[in-house]
Amino acid sequence: MCVRHNVPVIHVPTNPLSSHKPFVIRRIPGFATVAVICFAVLYIPLAPLVAYSFNAGTSITLWEGFSLRWYEAAWRNDLVQEAAIRSVVIAVTASVCATTVATMAALGTTRTRPYRGQLAIYAIINQPLMVPEIVTAVALLIVFAIVKTATDYHGLAYLIVAHTAFCVPFAYLPIRARLEGMDLTLETAAADLYATPWKIFHRVTLPLLLPGILAGAMLAFVISLDDVVITEFVKSVGQDTLPTYMLGQLRRVVTPEINAISTVLLGISVVLVTLVFLLSREKVQ
Amino acid sequence: MMKKMLTILAGIGLLATTGAAIAEGELNLFNWGNYTNPDLLKKFEEAHGVKVTVTDYDSNDTALAKIKAGGHGFDMVVPSANYIPIFISEGLLLETRPDQMENFNHVLDEFANPDWDPGRHYTVPWQWGSVGMIVDTSVYSGDINTAAIYLDPPEELVGKINVAPEMNDVLSSAIMYLGGEPCTTDKELLKKVRDKLLEAKPKWLSMDYGMIEKFAGRDVAASLYWNGAAFRAREKNTDVRYGYPQEGFALWMDSVGVLKDAKNVENAKLFQNFLMQPENAALISAFARYANGIKGSEVFMPDDMKGAEEIEIPSDLAGAGIFLPTCSPEATELYTAIWTELQK
Repeated sequence: MCVRHNVPVIHVPTNPLSSHKPFVIRRIPGFATVAVICFAVLYIPLAPLVAYSFNAGTSITLWEGFSLRWYEAAWRNDLVQEAAIRSVVIAVTASVCATTVATMAALGTTRTRPYRGQLAIYAIINQPLMVPEIVTAVALLIVFAIVKTATDYHGLAYLIVAHTAFCVPFAYLPIRARLEGMDLTLETAAADLYATPWKIFHRVTLPLLLPGILAGAMLAFVISLDDVVITEFVKSVGQDTLPTYMLGQLRRVVTPEINAISTVLLGISVVLVTLVFLLSREKVQ
Repeated sequence: MMKKMLTILAGIGLLATTGAAIAEGELNLFNWGNYTNPDLLKKFEEAHGVKVTVTDYDSNDTALAKIKAGGHGFDMVVPSANYIPIFISEGLLLETRPDQMENFNHVLDEFANPDWDPGRHYTVPWQWGSVGMIVDTSVYSGDINTAAIYLDPPEELVGKINVAPEMNDVLSSAIMYLGGEPCTTDKELLKKVRDKLLEAKPKWLSMDYGMIEKFAGRDVAASLYWNGAAFRAREKNTDVRYGYPQEGFALWMDSVGVLKDAKNVENAKLFQNFLMQPENAALISAFARYANGIKGSEVFMPDDMKGAEEIEIPSDLAGAGIFLPTCSPEATELYTAIWTELQK
């Protein structure tokens, strides 16, 4: 019996969700202090934002009692509703597309014999994580402007394509981490039992990979839902999403309505990221 | 039947090049976020059967970048005065000749021939405002029509002053306080400006936005800031007053232009003409709370805005207001140097 082990040789250390993180860093003196400061800086400013979304008054700094009026106001605001629906449509479509591409990419970079140019492929897939968003945004603005002029099409597809592109690495990372954690014996056994490659993928790899795919999809969804810069530059007529709508409001008078919308977005993000964490943590049997 | 007649009439009007046209269809307005009254759009839609879509931007630069790239699909844009010369010289605006439109006679004289759009060949007024002194008079009851409030502050205000973190607004105010003209490159004067600002800064509390809340909470007692915010601050703290520095204060205005690559040019022209009608201009102000530059619109303003000291400049001080020009690169460089030093 010839069992071939395609253990990936190249270890890329850019995977924040991998369970193979080195633990040495915890022993560095001051680690706990730095960690606490980081969490405080990241999360303390969110507390008043959330608190004032429940303010009864019109102020975002003076507390006038508890009320849900701003959630109601946001819910009733047609512009907010339209922007929210648009955001969700874009995020769902883009995350489905990005996850499909990312799954294929992850299979292509882990379930193969190491080949020349593999490192370059990692780099290309993860490129949107490295390039400053404003650079991508301006580049897309110029390219899409040419396409828009040539085709006279101004639909949502531009935003969906752009969001798909920058969501791919976010979907790719958890999927690849999952694939790397799955050993090849089950797939090899299936192959030994004369299962076709498609059958192996369909009956063995995919079910095992599913938590990774779901995690990737959710991460991609959140990233798309929260995007401001690229959306601001790519959007056409009447295509404000929730974040770009909020950006427009901030220039002038801010009411707790913005806090309410932010709190809802924050809630969605926290829930999804928690699910991603739980799914990624689940051990491969 | 009526519609048909109007269409024919409109056709004739078009031939005469200046008249209003009834054009069914769409209009895509690219405007600052939270700046367009939905009632204004509804009125226009009902009157002309045109569906108006508003898309937001958050800065002149974003708007300019998107429009310059092309293919955006917008028909109209609302840039600030100092950006309009850029839009015109880049060939982005269509010469719609608002000055020949039916309602142009409603434009206030001081806005009919501005430096940034001589003769109003491109744009119509949207809103305008000023940069002045917001003061909590329960803390300081002296004269507030002076930039000394923040440059040579009275004892009571020391440590309670805010300054808007906007380079052009602050520098022009300080230059005028010391007797210069905005955009000056006189180095002697600019040295004095720098020294004055650096000397005053220790007496300030902050250089920040969000003054409506700060005055409501009485965290700040004076600020160099915008009149619309002063109006809103007074709604929350009745001791708040707005002063116009007699040494000179900056004015700003946003105007509506039609884009050269607009698809709905006739509707856009209709909208420009529509905006110069006093009752429509009043709708703009009722929403965003700034003055609009159209004669006779005061009558249609919400009651709380009628005669508000933040909206109507007292006649004895009106002459001190100056629209900031687009400064030369040399001046901008000098100002940036002073500004950087001030921020340290």
